[in-house]
Amino acid sequence: MFSKVLLVCAAGLSLLAGAYALTSSEPRADFSYVNSYGIHTLDPARMSWTNDFRIALNIWEGLTSWDPRTMEPIGAAAEFPPEVSADGLTYTFTIRSDARWSNGDPVTPRDFVRGWRRGLEPGTATDYTFLIADNVVGAADYVSWRRDAVAALTTLSRLRDGWDVDADQARALSKQPYLGEVQTAFDEVRDPSEPLDPSTDGEPLARRLNDADLDFERLYANAYAAHVAALDRKFAEVGIEASGDGTLTVRLANPCPFFLDLTGFPVFLPCHQSVDLLRLSAAGSPITEEGLVVYDPQWTKPDYRREGYPGLVTNGPYRLASWTFKRRARLTVNPHHRLASDITCRTVDMLVYENISASIMAYEAGDVEFLPGMNVPYEHEIARLAQTGERPDFHLCTVLATYFFNFNCADQTVQGRPNPFVDARVRRAFALAVDREAVVNNVLMRGDRVATSFVPPDSIPGYDPPDGLRHDDDEARRLIADAGFPNGTGLPAIELLYTPNDERVCQAVARMWEDTLGARVELRCKESKTFAEDKANRAYMIARANWYADYGDPTTFLDCLTTGNGNNDSGYANPAYDDLLTEARLTRDPAARAGLLRRAEAILVEQDLPILPMLHYVSPIAIKPYVKGVYPNPRLWFPFRFIEVTR
Amino acid sequence: MTRLIFRRLALGLVTIACVYTLTFVMVITIPGNPFQQGDRTMAPEVEQALHARYDMDNNWLYFWQFLKGAAHFDFGPTYTYNDWTCAQVIGSALPVSVMLGLLAILIAVAIGVPIGVLSATRQNTWIDVSGLLFVLMGVSVPVFVTGSVLLTTFAVWLHVAPVGGWGTLAHLPLPAFTLALPFAAYIARLTRTGMLDALSADFVRTALAKGVSSRRVAWRHALKVAFLPVLSYLGPATAQAMTGSFVVEKVFGVPGLGQHFVNAALNLDSGLLLGSVLVFSAILVALNLLVDVLYAWLDPRISEAV
Repeated sequence: MFSKVLLVCAAGLSLLAGAYALTSSEPRADFSYVNSYGIHTLDPARMSWTNDFRIALNIWEGLTSWDPRTMEPIGAAAEFPPEVSADGLTYTFTIRSDARWSNGDPVTPRDFVRGWRRGLEPGTATDYTFLIADNVVGAADYVSWRRDAVAALTTLSRLRDGWDVDADQARALSKQPYLGEVQTAFDEVRDPSEPLDPSTDGEPLARRLNDADLDFERLYANAYAAHVAALDRKFAEVGIEASGDGTLTVRLANPCPFFLDLTGFPVFLPCHQSVDLLRLSAAGSPITEEGLVVYDPQWTKPDYRREGYPGLVTNGPYRLASWTFKRRARLTVNPHHRLASDITCRTVDMLVYENISASIMAYEAGDVEFLPGMNVPYEHEIARLAQTGERPDFHLCTVLATYFFNFNCADQTVQGRPNPFVDARVRRAFALAVDREAVVNNVLMRGDRVATSFVPPDSIPGYDPPDGLRHDDDEARRLIADAGFPNGTGLPAIELLYTPNDERVCQAVARMWEDTLGARVELRCKESKTFAEDKANRAYMIARANWYADYGDPTTFLDCLTTGNGNNDSGYANPAYDDLLTEARLTRDPAARAGLLRRAEAILVEQDLPILPMLHYVSPIAIKPYVKGVYPNPRLWFPFRFIEVTR
Repeated sequence: MTRLIFRRLALGLVTIACVYTLTFVMVITIPGNPFQQGDRTMAPEVEQALHARYDMDNNWLYFWQFLKGAAHFDFGPTYTYNDWTCAQVIGSALPVSVMLGLLAILIAVAIGVPIGVLSATRQNTWIDVSGLLFVLMGVSVPVFVTGSVLLTTFAVWLHVAPVGGWGTLAHLPLPAFTLALPFAAYIARLTRTGMLDALSADFVRTALAKGVSSRRVAWRHALKVAFLPVLSYLGPATAQAMTGSFVVEKVFGVPGLGQHFVNAALNLDSGLLLGSVLVFSAILVALNLLVDVLYAWLDPRISEAV
């Protein structure tokens, strides 16, 4: 029997050896850094995480880029500065004649049109569509036209396949003026004796559609064909135009003083023509059955080959040499890039350490040179080491970001009870009662900056945010009494919604509200997905929030609180505020524009308080002393081409 | 034997089907939107279209379509890692988990069996007491503590092992050893109990009476009998080591399947979640089957009894 046991062990060992053959090793890169979360996506149209931006902006190059020391826009794939028309609405970019893709192809203006269109298309685009849609002429129209069509085609494809549709899906059919035949079919479905507004009455409409005896096969086919035929015609109305002489003309809807700051952003990156080989769609058509533009998601892999696809082609100073899922991505210099011979750091490794403490140990052991984030439970200790200079290789980067609380501004809670925060005096009282100094210095101790404004001060050149409200318990008590709740009597239990990471801050502020205002605070800590859902449904009175700037202009913060904005989680609506932002949008004089924005922000942080700014984040980073050319900056933008390792 | 295999196989399929159905029900009842990654709100039209594209707007359709794909190891796209398919994610992580688990079990046997035998043959001596102490430690100290201690000692202080990650031989010993400890402890206890029983059996007394050395009796005669309970434990233990290494993976930054399993649940990545549940349960069923077969092979009386 023992020989049998040995046999089993031998089999186990050989299996082990086989499995081990699947792993490999390569020599160490010139420069290694840690990305604790891995890469979510390398598709520039889809990405929304700083960690992904970091890789993307090193392997691709937009029309402009930023100087990592000053964060001012600098030239990249296009000549800098571009030609701007007198009214500030037309930008003409000339693509550099020496701009090359990593396979040697010249970069053309059409590559930019392709990339930007991916940034607008439902199916490829996600979070940052608005950067194009809000600024480029016709882009917003195109996006909503496409979204409506996608919704209608989805519904029709479901009906065609014999599945029932729900109220939302049924409603989607009402927004399709060009689907003439669908409209006629609609009228047939309708019961004339019972008038029905399809834009609101989803339920009965869905019932009738599900029971209707219509030729959905034909309806769907016609609607699909009509939409496909209109696609390029409609896109031609968007103000992005490539010309044969190497220029890209962009027409803006409004003068946008920070447009050259935007054009370096991932959603504005170009896209090589080979990517179109991997478009997934219904046969012979550019879109799927649901009307989406979808690509084989594997197109971002350097070694992906299918139907002639050569693997990922990029145009930045680096190219992606290999990418192992959740382990490592290796970048090497793009030999065709115009700066290729000037770059000293030839290979860069992005290593994944899910456990941030382990990444710090790896840094201490010398396995990696750079940690772009150290969010660990002992952050305060890291902040202390950085602040006292005990560790000169630790730096605290002030980030363009604000941590704040949203007050639900609706007059009722979702449960239908009266919401005290509909009254601006209550919101102000709650804001005045918070001692942010204590939270920042005694509770968190991470070296964050106390925030009394939404826009971080001293971070955007030419803009000084208003002072905001300081801690004042007496004024807080007076206001809450004014609002009809003296010493908190009559105040319902205040629901404070947050995620597990906010535990300490929320306990501290809850205590301040209880002590100063006599409020009874119910702490509701939710896991982040459930939190997001509750927040979206406005099932809260006060909720934690944060906002990271997307570009270097105050509007990246202030636009969030305009009426009906998708990121306006507090449901705040003040026409005076909206008007000031609209006026600023049309103002070209920088000083006057900054004045208008400042007045708008003052409404937010001194008068209406739909949000309670708490702090502006700092992010601790660690750079080995023998590495030169990593510049701590508020956007955590670290272009590798400046790096020199002098080990 | 064939009958045994077929019966176990059929039972295993039923088990997997139950696990899949239960998980599916849980996945569709969890609140939240898998396509929503990050803080911003998604356009509702696009969300609907994506749900339709992946048949997620209709639970029945989704249930069957997913199962149909899973039969070819196609679990659809992941929503957290847009550029990879679930099959790729699982495919890249599975060998890591399998390797780590197997190595851990081999280490556990290599440590646990000798400790068990020694404890039994030297019952109530200091060896037995230290063995008992080892068992107690192994069973009760959580792996994140042993892992962190080992990591700090060998990687940070002594610099003889890398801090974490995967890819070279040097990455293997620390996580495998950490993962092995609780199993080693349990195996030591099982061996000790089995050995104590076996050593008091008649055939051992006979062997000793015939003049066979006590060492030979212990290792060749008694262990043969005492090893059977260990063997039946090895099946579930191997499966557990392969699938339950989440904490060890986290501590040592090992890119195994456990982390995806946990993250998929947190991110509502339904394809990845259902996929890893299916793979996990398939491994469990397969290993249990393997042990049953091995058992019957080692001890032919068993297959007759079944």
